[in-house]
Amino acid sequence: MTPRLYALRIALRGPVSDLVVIGLVATLVLLALAGPLLAPDSIYRSDILNALQPPSAAHWFGTDDQGRDVFWRVVAGAQASLVSSVLIVTGFSAIGIAVAMVATVGPRWLDGLLMRLCDIGLALPGLVVALGFAAALGPSLQSAIIAKVLTGWPMTARYLRAVMRETMTAPFVTGATVLGVSRWRLMTRHVLPNSMDVLVVKWAGDIGTTILILAGMSFIGVGAQPPSAEWGAMIAAAKGYVSSAWWVVAAPGLAIALTSISFGLLGDILQVRRDPNLRSKR
Amino acid sequence: MRSRAYARYIGRRLIFAVLTLLGLLALVFLMVKLIPGDEARAAAGPEATPAQIEAVRERLGLDAPLAVQFVRFAGRYAQGDLGTSTSTLQPVLADLTAVLPGTLELVAFAMTLSLLLAVPAAAVAAARHGGGADLATRVTAVTLGGLPTFWLALMLQYIFATRLGWLPISGQQSFEFFTGEVTRMPVLDALISGIPGAFTDALRYILLPAFALSALFMAQTFRMLRATLLGLMDLDFICAARAKGAAPLRIMLRHALPNALGPILTLVGMQFGLMVGSAVLVEGIFARPGVGSYLANAVAQKDTYAVLGTVFFVGGMVCVVNLLVDILHLVIDPRVRASQFHGEAT
Repeated sequence: MTPRLYALRIALRGPVSDLVVIGLVATLVLLALAGPLLAPDSIYRSDILNALQPPSAAHWFGTDDQGRDVFWRVVAGAQASLVSSVLIVTGFSAIGIAVAMVATVGPRWLDGLLMRLCDIGLALPGLVVALGFAAALGPSLQSAIIAKVLTGWPMTARYLRAVMRETMTAPFVTGATVLGVSRWRLMTRHVLPNSMDVLVVKWAGDIGTTILILAGMSFIGVGAQPPSAEWGAMIAAAKGYVSSAWWVVAAPGLAIALTSISFGLLGDILQVRRDPNLRSKR
Repeated sequence: MRSRAYARYIGRRLIFAVLTLLGLLALVFLMVKLIPGDEARAAAGPEATPAQIEAVRERLGLDAPLAVQFVRFAGRYAQGDLGTSTSTLQPVLADLTAVLPGTLELVAFAMTLSLLLAVPAAAVAAARHGGGADLATRVTAVTLGGLPTFWLALMLQYIFATRLGWLPISGQQSFEFFTGEVTRMPVLDALISGIPGAFTDALRYILLPAFALSALFMAQTFRMLRATLLGLMDLDFICAARAKGAAPLRIMLRHALPNALGPILTLVGMQFGLMVGSAVLVEGIFARPGVGSYLANAVAQKDTYAVLGTVFFVGGMVCVVNLLVDILHLVIDPRVRASQFHGEAT
């Protein structure tokens, strides 16, 4: 069974609190896919007469300084925020997997070199380095995504390398080696598939933290630019008038928090499912 | 024998710190090369004349091969020449050293807040494992850990300063308590100025930014410490203490917590660098001069060389702090010392 199917299978049994988290994550993913289609066109036009209306039945989260409905802008923004985070985590996980594989299969010196590189990457403050890359590339959502992919992989590589080292000692690997399977085939057919489940767990947690970092980068101005409905950029655009319209800042922030917390909890749930000994210690 | 093992450990850490600095230099060099357009034009600023651009090109040696350029670049940075800001027209390093004390003070307060709240919470949660206090602290930690730092800062500012008026909205001290800049750390300056009321005034200004900055790290410390403590609770020495009839509080304070000190120290060291980085999300909101607001301003002004200079400055500081933490670890944790004597890798 592939790790993804495995994750799905274990996802659908367990305590109610787990199901709530999984339901939240599923809703967020659906919103990210369909959000821009659901939202009315009016959120892309300004309606200055309705500017800065407080939350009401017509506008659940009120309106912003352009008179646009904040609730629907947050819904529409789910795509930019969540899809970007998924892209980032997928991107740096791919690099991390490649590095871990080369380190495991390759000669010892290469292993040492790659792992020292990871250590160096981990020793540096991630937000600041990513911010530097994005600023150098020119502020845009793409730059922020590239910057985070370039700086995010060492943790995945280091972690997966450790897991693969453990997998390499398993009897079935010894068996395959005895049968004369090439090192590369051993890696791709035996070691990697049996090390991937930890990555699925890490992937969920990584999305939770990446959402926060990406929003931070947009807030500083190196990520998505206003008037984009990306959540961080929405807060950046509204920070100047928070004292007269708190809801324009509050709503996207709550969306970021909800998404980050849901994915973080999903990561915890998957981790506990993988290793029940952790149940009481998370 | 003992001193040789120490020297070997410290030597290894030193080499790693130097390698990290080199890696950081290479990254910043790569960032410079990624800047689209003419590098000399960008470095000279938007209002430079063609002659000035040529002068900058000459000075930066942009016609030389890449390897030579990197060596020169590394040489310049190593000598503290992080370029000149196109918005303040000052050397980036001078700008940064002027505002660094303010950031360090803010980070120190945030770290203190984080430890003051997270350590007791983790101790209680671990002692009452599975109980109501455990659940409540865990829910709080998960929530705090998911809030975007800059959003928390804006909301705290709105609620406690704008709406309730309990704390000042922004700045470092009230006008009537202007204490001058001796250390450039506002709270410390207020303390040594001896002006009555100045110290509490400065404290009131630093409280909100420090809390906003610490929230994420508080959650992290709590989770790590709680897990460490729960792991320790199963060990024989705790069991022995319990069998001797030691009270739960005593077990926690005398047996479990001291053994969790090493991991906390490592985490605090790591968090220091991350906090300096996160200051970029907080300082600007509260209009506090610091490395973070300097970096945010540089981004807003498209002053890319000042941004990259700051990236190197913060990264370099993190390397030095990591080195100090590793050495401190050797001093406080006998297990690290022991592993050195037996020649095991750490």
